[in-house]
Amino acid sequence: MRVIAFLNNKGGVGKTTCSRTMAEYLSKVKKRPTLAIDFDPQCNFSHQYLKMEIDPAAPEGLMPPIHPDYDPQDPDHYDWDGRSSISEIFYGQGVVPYPTYIEKLDLAPGHAEKLLAAESVRKSEVVEKVHKQLANFLASPDVKAAYDTVVIDTAPSKGPLTVSVIKAATHIIIPSVMEEQPVQGIYGMLQLWMQESLSREKNRPLTLVGILPNMFKQTRLHKDILTSLQENTAIGKYMMPVKLSQRIVFAEIDSEDANPHSIFDFQENHVAKQEAMEVCEFISERIFTNE
Amino acid sequence: MSKKKRFGVSEALSRGLSETINVVENNAGIYRNVVLPLSRIELDPDNPRKLAITLADVQQGLNKSDPLYQRKSEEFERLTELAMTIKSSGIINPIVVYKLGEAYRVVAGERRCLASILAGKQEIEARVFNEKPQGFALKLVQWIENTAREDLTLDERINNIRDILRAYQNQHGDISVTPTLLKNIIGLSLPQATYYVAVLNAQPDVQQMIENGKIRSLDKAAIICGIESPELRHQAISACITGCSLKELRKMIAHAKQNSKKHLMVDQAVKRGRAASRVNMGFTLKPRVIQVIVESVVDRAEYKKYADLFMKVDWSHIDQTTRMFKKLIEILEYESEIAYD
Repeated sequence: MRVIAFLNNKGGVGKTTCSRTMAEYLSKVKKRPTLAIDFDPQCNFSHQYLKMEIDPAAPEGLMPPIHPDYDPQDPDHYDWDGRSSISEIFYGQGVVPYPTYIEKLDLAPGHAEKLLAAESVRKSEVVEKVHKQLANFLASPDVKAAYDTVVIDTAPSKGPLTVSVIKAATHIIIPSVMEEQPVQGIYGMLQLWMQESLSREKNRPLTLVGILPNMFKQTRLHKDILTSLQENTAIGKYMMPVKLSQRIVFAEIDSEDANPHSIFDFQENHVAKQEAMEVCEFISERIFTNE
Repeated sequence: MSKKKRFGVSEALSRGLSETINVVENNAGIYRNVVLPLSRIELDPDNPRKLAITLADVQQGLNKSDPLYQRKSEEFERLTELAMTIKSSGIINPIVVYKLGEAYRVVAGERRCLASILAGKQEIEARVFNEKPQGFALKLVQWIENTAREDLTLDERINNIRDILRAYQNQHGDISVTPTLLKNIIGLSLPQATYYVAVLNAQPDVQQMIENGKIRSLDKAAIICGIESPELRHQAISACITGCSLKELRKMIAHAKQNSKKHLMVDQAVKRGRAASRVNMGFTLKPRVIQVIVESVVDRAEYKKYADLFMKVDWSHIDQTTRMFKKLIEILEYESEIAYD
């Protein structure tokens, strides 16, 4: 099972759009049974596929709706409130993924309050309570049997949630806008990649697929920063030769009643679709080389 | 016309990015850094550092009836000091281990382990080799770890090298040990490797003195090993034990080679230096000092005739100043000869 995570501790660099595009490519185009996981308390990734609800206990936060399989009459469900998010892994509860409108794609949505609580666990407990939980969950036989790929959207942080993702991932991708501050975010993520790589066994490497130039505009600033990263011998190897441009269509398909709802439902010659295909094909080739 | 600004990533950030990438590329998969429970760690019975103290001693305390009590209690005292620092600031470098069954065997860091137990720690930071180091590589890591420390005796160091060479020969066949070989596998300098090779082949009398700690310096031992005559060697050993310096030892041997009359050499060895026959002029880092000397000399009436010689000297130039100072000395010697003859 491949576990692909999109990371950057700077917000607004397009982690959610990239996660979404990749998850839809794998499930829709490649027909691979895919699990999308939303590890960001903002729950934007979840909102693409589910009607997230306002949590009455925490008005700022979102929580998943009642699961379609939930039956209050079912004696098996007596201790379940009918909602299930990925954050259940921190509370010893089972995670029940939600089906989405895409046949091969399931979603383990986020839960703002519970994810934030996990992020603020005391330092002394964080290793046991947070860092290892996602890896344990993904290693369970049920998950392995059901899915062939997992795509994780992460919070813009270097905190326990992101570390938990890094510990569970097999492949990471760092999307970044070609501007100074997001590039600093690349540094933060490379540090985490280094720490994790140096604590892993040889047969379980954490592969950095690459740095993906995202929301790219044909401006001098973006072009110059991209060139300077490509020209650096160490970083250049990890700069993906593909990129996603800044396009309004990615925002348009986000809205609830958008039609089409997926970039892959556009016509073949649609420029944004072509670009998304190129990026996803590149990542996919890298990730599934040994298959 | 002004140039268009070119944007780029700051130098510091770009360096940070490439350094991080290089660390991962060069190190991932070779070993991993983890925190291990001390209960899973066992010491290497073949570690070249011959600590008398054992894990049980540290856990249960020392036993006065132990024949090694004296040595162990000294070691215990030093471990307690280390334990104090571990309590306050932890271990600075992780220990090095490899997995052996359910346990982890220490390659380097015995004292840190024992002291951590003394400090009441439950876990220790460790670097785990992904594969068990080969005999030779294992010895080499222990050697590198241990030579960096000054408190290792010559005997311990020699035995380390013997072990490394044995492990190396087991892997590469029975190769004869030359200084160059030693230099290449351990990374010593050639002169040091030459000394070690000499001491490895030491005559039994020298070897015994090294074993019982009478000879503690590598270079002295190596020089003594080079003496073929047993009588002279015996004298050199005695001189060495009584605290004769390396220079004196060298002089004594050189003298003996020149002069076959042996009684003379003993005199030489006992006497500290010979009568001085010339004045040492010393040196200075400040060429201006020489300028002052030169100018004061040529200021004197009898030296005025030499003043032109020093007119165009650049006194900030070390080589030029040295040359001119030598010239001045020659002149002074010449003039004083004339004056006193």
